[in-house]
Amino acid sequence: MKLVYRILLHLSWALSLLLAAWAVLFYVTMIDEINDEVDDSLEARAEVILTRVLAGRELPVAASEGNNAYFLNEVSDEYAAVQPRERYSDEEIFIPERDDEEPARVLRKVFHDRDGKWYELTVMTPTIEKDDLREAILYWIVCLYLFLLLLILLITVVVLYRTMRPLYALLRWLDGYTVGARNPPLAIDTSVTEFRRLNDAARRYAERAESTFERQKQFIGNASHEMQTPLAVCRNRLEMLVDDAQTLTEEQLGEIAKVQRTLDYLVRLNRSLLLLSKIDNGQFPEAEEVDINALVRRTAEDMEEIYAYRGMRFTLTDEGPLTMRMNPSLAGSVVANLVKNAFVHGDAGGEIAVTVAPRRLTVANSGAGGPLDAGHIFDRFYQGAKKEGSTGLGLAVVDAVCRLYGLKVAYSYINGRHCFTVEFPA
Amino acid sequence: MKILIVEDEPSLREIMVRTLVREQYVVEQAADYAAALDKIAAYDYDCILLDIMLPGGSGLRLLEELKQRRSRAGVIIISARDSLDDKIEGLELGADDYLPKPFHLAELSARIRSVLRRHQRDGHESLDAGNVHLWPDSRRVEVAGREVELLRKEYDILHYFMSRPNHTVDKTALAEGVWGDHIDQADNFDFVYAQMKNLRRKLHDAGADIEIRAVYGFGYKLVQP
Repeated sequence: MKLVYRILLHLSWALSLLLAAWAVLFYVTMIDEINDEVDDSLEARAEVILTRVLAGRELPVAASEGNNAYFLNEVSDEYAAVQPRERYSDEEIFIPERDDEEPARVLRKVFHDRDGKWYELTVMTPTIEKDDLREAILYWIVCLYLFLLLLILLITVVVLYRTMRPLYALLRWLDGYTVGARNPPLAIDTSVTEFRRLNDAARRYAERAESTFERQKQFIGNASHEMQTPLAVCRNRLEMLVDDAQTLTEEQLGEIAKVQRTLDYLVRLNRSLLLLSKIDNGQFPEAEEVDINALVRRTAEDMEEIYAYRGMRFTLTDEGPLTMRMNPSLAGSVVANLVKNAFVHGDAGGEIAVTVAPRRLTVANSGAGGPLDAGHIFDRFYQGAKKEGSTGLGLAVVDAVCRLYGLKVAYSYINGRHCFTVEFPA
Repeated sequence: MKILIVEDEPSLREIMVRTLVREQYVVEQAADYAAALDKIAAYDYDCILLDIMLPGGSGLRLLEELKQRRSRAGVIIISARDSLDDKIEGLELGADDYLPKPFHLAELSARIRSVLRRHQRDGHESLDAGNVHLWPDSRRVEVAGREVELLRKEYDILHYFMSRPNHTVDKTALAEGVWGDHIDQADNFDFVYAQMKNLRRKLHDAGADIEIRAVYGFGYKLVQP
């Protein structure tokens, strides 16, 4: 959720609560004020009528249409005893002239004359329709609410985008930032303390990431240098031993060959790790138009020969030309790793189907054991089942190359077939 | 043929010296930049094996030095870094080849032969072993004066052994050299045996006096009469 929406959401919540409370308060105060005024006038009228009744003078004519109407009833002592002397109430009274009920404020006064006879005087005056009032208030509150909301929205958006400009600039800079690549300087001019601190922090962390990255690169370079030479020495000493092989037995030669296999594995492992770190560092600048169809054909030919002993049925389907501008040796490792993977990990005697389409390369092989973990299959050193001599880096290399060139590589398991698909950008 | 080995790792230097001496080269060695500079200044070499990372300076600066002296020595860079920049810079500075560590000794010897051949005779000469002659530029093979037709892989295998005579070659190294790096997970080498069988038969039928002999449990070796 964007910051501006989040702020607006909070504001609208707060505003609706605030306005609702304000509306209730406003209504209560207003009704109170109106009742107060009406009660005063009812009291005055009741006073006049009461004085006349007690003085035995002529009573005023009860006005028609409910306005200023009054009733004077004689009541029993018992009734009078339980009633308060004076009470106000809101009532619906029937107006015969209008044949309708109207809201009215009613004052009932209970009193007795000199003879001790009890009377109840009912004075009433029509008052406002409270439902209407409530409706009107609600209506205008909603209007006010929407208007305020719109206004606040506009102000918030303008203010936010103006004051947050450094933040958005920082975000853009962070989005475009790649460790180890050439990055533009963080040039944000702001006087706001928080943003300055944020910028400083971002710059500091970027520098730290750069230096860590640099150190790591150097470490890998140094480690490889340190490992290559002893590996060369081991390998070459064994080779010298074999070259002077007159005194060695067949069994001893076999053992030496096994040590060589292990050394080969170490050399390959080291080489693959170097390759990965070089891809990650983008150290493969030179690119040319690579004919993927031809590359797949060549690779498949070699693989078919090498893995003939596995007795797999191989089919290559050419659905159209596929070319891509990339480093030829990296293109070679993608194709070789995928095809080799199918030959090495597929079921012996199974099927391998490679399809080259104009923007897609698919390598599928039949394989028992169900789908592999698609979330980890491209991780370094992830292997479904440990296979001797396999570095567990082949698919990681494929993934790294694909990321470098913006290709999409995906794994799926359909109808008992492991399927790797590489989508090339148009 | 005189070869200078510039390598700071004593053990590797010793191995290289021993291997090359056995192949009848005159070998000198230098362990650091200063020693190498002295040798280059004092003597002429046919081939120089040059490590890039040296105590006291970079091998690339030695290359510049050689260029200034208009040295006719062939230079093979031997580097542990396998760095593309080093490779490009080295080749631009006039190096003839680039061999990343760790290498096979047979490979080293083949590269030296190739560089020497190119420098001495403009690269149009053949590789010779016994009565077998192989022209790498035209991919032609002659046995006892008569041309022999070889399939692509058969030719590649013969070329591989002709550049490494008298070295016992591990069958994995052979497969890697001929089929490329794809073979790293093959645990069955029938494809090598099959090609090897055909090649040996063709050589035998043509009357070749060299033999690619199997070294049991290990690999093969080209044996000359």
